[in-house]
Amino acid sequence: MADTYHDVTDLVEKARAGNRASLEQLVDHFHKDVFRMVYYRTYSPMDAEDLTQEIFMKMSKSLSSLKDAGSIRPWLFRIALNRVRDFHRKKSILSFFGTTTELEAAAQATAENHNNPANTMMLKEFQSQFRKLTDSLSQREREVFMLRFVDHLGIREIAGILKKGESTVKTHLYRAIKKFRQNPGLHRLLKGELL
Amino acid sequence: MNSKNLHLNEDQVIRSVVDENDLTATVGSHLSTCLVCQGKKQQIEQQLSTLGRMARELAPLPRREVRLPFDKPRSLWSWRPVFVAGFAAVLLIAGICWYALVTTSQEKMMSQIMRETKKDEQLMAEIYALEEYAPVDLYPDISAESDVGYFDEFLRFVSPLEANQNAV
Ligand SMILES: [Zn+2]
Repeated sequence: MADTYHDVTDLVEKARAGNRASLEQLVDHFHKDVFRMVYYRTYSPMDAEDLTQEIFMKMSKSLSSLKDAGSIRPWLFRIALNRVRDFHRKKSILSFFGTTTELEAAAQATAENHNNPANTMMLKEFQSQFRKLTDSLSQREREVFMLRFVDHLGIREIAGILKKGESTVKTHLYRAIKKFRQNPGLHRLLKGELL
Repeated sequence: MNSKNLHLNEDQVIRSVVDENDLTATVGSHLSTCLVCQGKKQQIEQQLSTLGRMARELAPLPRREVRLPFDKPRSLWSWRPVFVAGFAAVLLIAGICWYALVTTSQEKMMSQIMRETKKDEQLMAEIYALEEYAPVDLYPDISAESDVGYFDEFLRFVSPLEANQNAV
């Protein structure tokens, strides 16, 4: 498993040269990250599975066009973000926001994945509060906030992914954090009252 | 002006969370020395960090494996390096064989010539010796029976009577 920056860069170089095993390891390395990224933008595990598959297909086909092997992560997230945007363009407004059934299914899937069905209610509460926060943000604020604090990308990387200036990214981030500070439900969760 | 008036407000703390370098020199200088403001900043950072960690940990995990496209059969062009390497190897082997062949045949030819020359020299030496030490004219008369009378003389010398009787 690739653990360091150099390991990942090495895998990218080998995969680009046609090494199938390296490509598979690369997919393994980013699978959870990409799936989670898509999930928090669709709130549907089923759609996230399909989109993740498509994103990695696109990655394997376009890997040769990646100029800097070290920037694989932001590059992959850009592919993912574009694919999610296409998905939302095609989906109806109802599917975009997800249904109650979808949210319950997601919480159920999360609880099963973590082998802890008793926490389903608690997970549902977190996801509901988290959803309220992200829904309260503008599209740009939400994207920047998620990329920064959930997907763990730097300001410069986010600017590259969104094709925006760093100052624009910072402005959206500032506004998003301000709204986050005004969300009492999440603060209650973060203080550990439910977890 | 006391230090309380200089404390960062909520907006400034949030700006410091986004990027500390964007603060004005005065505000930045205060933040670097004020434990109260540093505490406020760290609290917000902690909240955001916890939120991100929970979001990562509580997200569902993918259940389906990613299927990658099958390897396409390689085009002839993509085999080009293999062809070039193979051709180079054939050329190299042919070169080595040719060199070995040429070297061996040259050696053989040289030794053949040497043997022939030696034979020629021997022959010439024999001819020269024959010419140099040629037998005298009498010599063939001893060996060839050019004069049968010589034997009769010899018999007469050994046994004169019998020779005379035969003569009668
Ligand atoms: Zn202060």
